[in-house]
Amino acid sequence: MGNYIKDRKPATDEWMPFTGLEDNDTLPSGDIYVPLEEWLTRRESLLARNSRLGVSLSNTDDVSLLIPDLERLDLVVLEFPKMADGRAFTQARLLRERFGFKGEIRATGDVLHDQLFYMQRCGFDAFEIRDGQDVDGSLKAFTEMTVTYQPAADEEFPIWRRED
Amino acid sequence: MALQVYTASLLKEGLVAYLSLKDGVPSWTADIREATADTADRLDSLKAAAESAEQDNIVVAPYVIDVLETENGWKAATKREQIRAEGPSFALPQDSSTAHRSDESRRAA
Amino acid sequence: MYQYSEQDHQLLLERVEQFRGQVQRRLSGQLSEDEFKQQRLRNGLYLQLHAYMLRVAIPYGLLSAEQMRTLAHIARKYDKGYGHFSTRQNIQYNWPQLEDVPDILDDLAAVEMHAIQTSGNCIRNTTSDPLAGVARDEIEDPRPYCELIRQWSTFHPEFNFLPRKFKIAVSGAIGDRAAVAVHDIGLRLVEGPEGENGFEIYVGGGLGRTPMIGKLIRPFLPKEDMLTYLEAILRVYNQLGRRDNLYKARIKILVHETGEEKFRELVEEEWQKIKATGLYLREQDVERIKGFFKDPDYETLPDTDAEFENQLLSNPEFARWADKNIELHKQSGYRVVYLSLKSANQPPGDVTADQMDAVADLADKYSLGQIRTTHRQNLVLSDVKLQDLPALWQELKALDLATPNYNHVTDIISCPGLDYCALATARSIPISKAITDRFDDYDFVNDLGDVSINISGCINACGHHHVANIGILGVNKKGEEVYQLTLGGSAREDASIGKIIGPAFDADQIVDAIGDVLNVYLENREEPEETFLATYRRLGQDPFKERLYG
Repeated sequence: MGNYIKDRKPATDEWMPFTGLEDNDTLPSGDIYVPLEEWLTRRESLLARNSRLGVSLSNTDDVSLLIPDLERLDLVVLEFPKMADGRAFTQARLLRERFGFKGEIRATGDVLHDQLFYMQRCGFDAFEIRDGQDVDGSLKAFTEMTVTYQPAADEEFPIWRRED
Repeated sequence: MALQVYTASLLKEGLVAYLSLKDGVPSWTADIREATADTADRLDSLKAAAESAEQDNIVVAPYVIDVLETENGWKAATKREQIRAEGPSFALPQDSSTAHRSDESRRAA
Repeated sequence: MYQYSEQDHQLLLERVEQFRGQVQRRLSGQLSEDEFKQQRLRNGLYLQLHAYMLRVAIPYGLLSAEQMRTLAHIARKYDKGYGHFSTRQNIQYNWPQLEDVPDILDDLAAVEMHAIQTSGNCIRNTTSDPLAGVARDEIEDPRPYCELIRQWSTFHPEFNFLPRKFKIAVSGAIGDRAAVAVHDIGLRLVEGPEGENGFEIYVGGGLGRTPMIGKLIRPFLPKEDMLTYLEAILRVYNQLGRRDNLYKARIKILVHETGEEKFRELVEEEWQKIKATGLYLREQDVERIKGFFKDPDYETLPDTDAEFENQLLSNPEFARWADKNIELHKQSGYRVVYLSLKSANQPPGDVTADQMDAVADLADKYSLGQIRTTHRQNLVLSDVKLQDLPALWQELKALDLATPNYNHVTDIISCPGLDYCALATARSIPISKAITDRFDDYDFVNDLGDVSINISGCINACGHHHVANIGILGVNKKGEEVYQLTLGGSAREDASIGKIIGPAFDADQIVDAIGDVLNVYLENREEPEETFLATYRRLGQDPFKERLYG
């Protein structure tokens, strides 16, 4: 795809999305991720698979519905339908900080250089950069800002408590 | 049919500019009286010039406005566009002692 | 005042470089205008009617003399020699060029200033009481809490793409000089049940097309819980605030549509889950910040001065100014001085570069080197010795900063209006000038007493007309600028939204209409001490309506 960044580096996306709307109802082999609704209806058969599993959420979905399965899941995809719509920032923090999810949290949709700094602080570690963007140039986002004031997924304490 | 001209903001300076088209050569001027006006059904070449200036990152968000013909040339039809063409409707605050960068030197393009 | 740490400096420098890169990407065409707009707005840069406009943050309205000199330098070097102080205690420049903005930000960073989050749908500059730390009615200095909020909100990773802009104000006194009731969140320091101080938390105040007074969603919040509680409110808002309609996206609509009780439950439920996290404020965290706002070494002075008394008796002009523009100070022998930015000669809130430099010099000479900006678009020198007042007045008079009108009829809040603003539908500055010219008689102004007039040039209400005793809203009616009157608003501790009195007035009738309203008040007040607002609240709209339209 060429627009995928994982752990601050361009990478190859090994995951296959399955929406449930495909012509063929048979699940593809390999690591797949499905929308939340699909996950909730096919949960048993999906859990029986011998592959890695992921779920994609819309930014109005309730993240806590995934709590029982977070141990089994390796990927949660969160959506930014527009750059200005920042609901998925909260979803990511809840997943990482409150529910302790250790797998990949991926940002998809209207994802540009200028949000990456905030996204990684909220717990995202993978990004599908919007088509037509300079992916290598975007990597600068991980290093151009180094000072952070607040606690987030990357820091337990605010800046004034980090010295002790 | 009302006469119209193209206006926009200059990308670098942010200042108001009007499109002039002389012998097919476009330029942007701060003076609305130097703009090229035409009726809505004959704006094609102005529109093309405005859009290409936007694509070339010379101006931001060009649009058409109605103008009136006066003794002194074009005048914008609405209050908003008159203020845009002429500047704030009062004297700007000014120190007697200080010489500022004059408007002229700030107008480019 | 707060002194930047190495990391605070580092953050500003990194931010300037980042923005410089964004400007370069725009000028070279890598970023489209739509994409760049998201970035420039997050850094206070608008494209207005005539030019770019840069809004620079003045955290909780506090400036050092050195910072004020830098503001003057920027006005001179990059702009047209003046700046405009806004109702949210910031300063705006009306004519910067895009390619100069990174250099302006560099100059600002050198004196610990910036334009971060002064626009865009994020948490804006926190505002406060311009008398913080010196007010006689103060319960506790709000500035350390403002500074903590500044740090918490700056580049907050979760709350930088909110449904809409988000404004927070903090007051620490009995009197509200920070308009906390019309902010998305207002915090008021109050004494708690066991004698310790905490906060009243108001949520969902705001102006614009749906003006609302903030709802008290928590009558007492221990101070150590301030940031966790703010985080809980913002989290509920970020998830549930409406994003389908720009005009319904502020938190006031969420509170209104969810219902106060339900909204409170949502916040409390979220807060229970995060109240013990790293944002919990330990005593030493607050104490360290409080250390930056300690009282200066005030001299021990009597609260009287022979020369001051003599001037009051012998110099009527000085006496008028002293009566209007001076406030008592918590420290004996000191006074708070209001510098009026409401003379008849300049738009409300505008200050020239020379005036800025001169104010900086006066601050150094007379007021411990600090200046404050106010919600009503004036400046304050907060620590002036009684004995220095006559000399200070002479200098202020020469600068045209001594108009004796603080909180009086010509102390008008005005938005820039159609003369500058791309959103405006009518002019406001010429109306404020016409009112100021009409009511230029000191005795009349003095007789009217405490009264506020605010003017907005469109429904977005940046001129706060809803919360003026007399509010003026300019609208465009079939191509003509006409002006609607609202009466009975207040932005203080007795906050209320004014009511529209009737059909709008033409531009050449509005000043007469104001005159009529003022005369109805003068004729009907029960005693000279009854303020305009008290009279209006007692009588209601009828007598005013009758005079205006009868």
